[in-house]
Amino acid sequence: MEKLTELAKKHSDQFELYTLHQTQNTIRLEDSKLKDIQSSIQSGVSIRIIKDNRLGFAYTKKLQKPEELMQNALNSLKGGVEARYKFPHTEGIPQLNTYDRAIDEATNTAIVEEGRRICSILEEKTKAQVNIYAGTTTGEMQIRNSSNSSLSSKTSYYTITPYIIYPGSATGIHRSLFSKTFQKADDSYLNTLAELYNRGKQELNIAGGKMKGLFMPEAMYTLIWRLQSATNGESLYHKQSPLADKSGKRIFDERLTISDNALDDSKPGARAFDDEGTACQHLPIIKKGVLMNYYYDLYYASKMHAEPTGHGFKTSLWPGDMISMKPTPTLQHVTIEPGEKEFSQLIRNMDRGIIVCGALGAHSGNIPNGDFSIGLSPGLYVEKGEIIGRIKDAMVAGNIYETMQQVIDIENMVHPASTGYYPAILFDNVSVATKN
Amino acid sequence: MFETMKSILAKVKADYADIRHETKTETRISFSGNEVTEIGTNTTDGYVLRILNKGGYSSIAFTDSAAHEKVIQTAQENTHLMASLASKPVSLAKAEVVRDTYLPKLTEDPRAIAVDEKLELTRKYNALVLKNEKIATTNINYLELSRDKHFMNTEGSEIREELITTRMSGLITSREGSLIQNVRIGIGGSNGFSILRNREDHFENRTRIAVELLRAQPTKGGRYNVILNQSLGGVFAHEAFGHFSEADIIEDNPSMRQKMRIGAKLGNDILNITDDPTPPDQLGHYRYDDEGVAATGTPLLKNGTLVGRLHSRRTAAAFEESLNGHCIAEDYRYAPIIRMGTIFIEPGQDTFEDLLEKLGNGYYILNAKGGQTSGENFTFGAQYGYVVKNGKIGELVRDINISGNLYSTLKNIAAIGDDLKLNQVGGCGKGQSNIRSCHGAPHILVNNVVIGGA
Repeated sequence: MEKLTELAKKHSDQFELYTLHQTQNTIRLEDSKLKDIQSSIQSGVSIRIIKDNRLGFAYTKKLQKPEELMQNALNSLKGGVEARYKFPHTEGIPQLNTYDRAIDEATNTAIVEEGRRICSILEEKTKAQVNIYAGTTTGEMQIRNSSNSSLSSKTSYYTITPYIIYPGSATGIHRSLFSKTFQKADDSYLNTLAELYNRGKQELNIAGGKMKGLFMPEAMYTLIWRLQSATNGESLYHKQSPLADKSGKRIFDERLTISDNALDDSKPGARAFDDEGTACQHLPIIKKGVLMNYYYDLYYASKMHAEPTGHGFKTSLWPGDMISMKPTPTLQHVTIEPGEKEFSQLIRNMDRGIIVCGALGAHSGNIPNGDFSIGLSPGLYVEKGEIIGRIKDAMVAGNIYETMQQVIDIENMVHPASTGYYPAILFDNVSVATKN
Repeated sequence: MFETMKSILAKVKADYADIRHETKTETRISFSGNEVTEIGTNTTDGYVLRILNKGGYSSIAFTDSAAHEKVIQTAQENTHLMASLASKPVSLAKAEVVRDTYLPKLTEDPRAIAVDEKLELTRKYNALVLKNEKIATTNINYLELSRDKHFMNTEGSEIREELITTRMSGLITSREGSLIQNVRIGIGGSNGFSILRNREDHFENRTRIAVELLRAQPTKGGRYNVILNQSLGGVFAHEAFGHFSEADIIEDNPSMRQKMRIGAKLGNDILNITDDPTPPDQLGHYRYDDEGVAATGTPLLKNGTLVGRLHSRRTAAAFEESLNGHCIAEDYRYAPIIRMGTIFIEPGQDTFEDLLEKLGNGYYILNAKGGQTSGENFTFGAQYGYVVKNGKIGELVRDINISGNLYSTLKNIAAIGDDLKLNQVGGCGKGQSNIRSCHGAPHILVNNVVIGGA
């Protein structure tokens, strides 16, 4: 690494070295049987250099030939990728509690046993097929740059997701648990899953139309995805955002407050700095329905003459190789503030409606415009405040700038889910298409 | 390379083990609007070791061969755990011992072309799109991915195969006032760089559609009869049906396994679906899978009846069915999983005009915009469509997502065109990403499809 640093100093105006070492274990139980255990031990180094306001980028898995890596970065300078920004000098940032040493004792045996215990409980309560997806990840990441930043982060992560499968389906009622180390699932969590599953056992054919729609945390990413697209500095720069001129204006129901808080280390995955070394912050996106902020990485902040917000992360839509990615503006720590209603009260408030327990095809459709049109995976049906079954072959469609104006009530707690921590939210006038 | 792999395998104490090493070289060029946002060529490499011992089966991916002793220890611990806790011991179907090198034939090897020329070609197509004033922005990416794979196992197989994928893909975004529309572009393949040349028509056509969509009406939610074009028919074959031909998907799902039993009548007599990665010059081509098994063409649905499914060595043994070489990994970061290679609906007798006449009233919908399945249920998006009235194509419509049930939809395929076409740009996200996932179909007429509308 010292050799690479020397070369970078010699050949560039600015440089950034990023290293990552990650160990992962994934465990899968299907129909309560242990199906698979896989492990992965991966390392890598990437370098970004800036010379004459142009960016060079290169990466490798093994830093055996620093000269070759440097040459790849120099070669990529020729493409003329503009870089009119400075790698940040970041110091004095909060020391976050992101690593739990107990993860070292979290053996695959213990996780398999926990999976079997959960399967046994849920099977007994539901008489259904139960699948479990679980795993641990530990990682060490370092960033050094020419602005004298020297940052490191060590993380640990445990996740487990039980799926109670409806017959004929590959999905069902599910909810994930995330933590910094292995921990057992509590009874109330398992009871909630089983009860929801049991109420949806009867398969129904219902007439479509406008009705109340309760989006569970597991389906909320469908809506948040559209908001992320619209508040992203990249979308603003490329004139793809319908919210470009809406800062300070009310765009959603005033009960909706949505923020991104990478500093909250009560949850796993907290970050004091992003993948470019910019300090992270608690950034309100929507406050009481009003659009408060857009978010940026270094590149798009420079393009938009804005301050970087600490949202330059190496991510992609599909699982990718972090070492090979360049940072782009990303919200990784989204939370919707909880409301005041118990979950059961939300259901009692529905004269007729659907519960969107999961979304199929959330990535389809016109995301920049805020449109969504998703299959229910699964969807439960409610009449007179009671879940009476589940719906087959139905879709829910709308536009977030209409749907998120029509909040009836918000659950009083948040749950970990894909892309963030969300409560269940009950919306009015959701469009449901069915075969009837 | 085989010597290093052999020395690692020699230290594994197991009934069976295999090891794969891959060197992966990527060239990427990206444009966002007028600006180049990425350009460069990089090479990475790594290994995947799989161990089967006393009925326990496990894998580990790693990048540092010097750490192989820790790697072997972890893999052996996982294998021991699998053997002691899995409900039934794993065995592998018998496979031929293969010693072979397969390098694909290319019309213009992209690796021999200067990056400047690739940049200029991408810039030219990008500029073609951007010259239309209604286009707000573009996101156009050149990707060249070369995988040099070495595989060996304790049975004596030693195989080297190269896979070289070249493509240009991305999104064109049009805008008028607050209305934003987008259309995907995608050209490429597995047989060399020349497939990217002289493709101005593709970019001009996509640009025209993106602009016309600004005037199109949204679809209304409901149930319709529709004609799917080749791209969407291929997505249906892949998403709705194909994934349930993958043995690992249904293996531990009793209700799906019952429905997907060989001999089950699932579709109309006119429906035939096959997966065949063996023909060269198409995106999904390969000779050996990542278990060292030769790929074979595999009929899946014959006259509406299920006649085959896709296997790894493990599932072929568990189902007591034949091997067909469909166990594929994205790259050295992953153990292989069962995947489609090139799945397609076989062509029928009807011309496109015949299909329009049979449809009468409904929609003609075109080009995939993502799809997803969950058991019997699927949802996928179309980029645009047309109203069809009395067999005539009418006005353009937008915001089309369709949803359905696999089994009822297979029976609702009422007519099949004679114009099979395979896709040039793939992307299947089953656990890993497979950019060579190839699918296709002729135009097909499907009755009673649910459209989500807007």
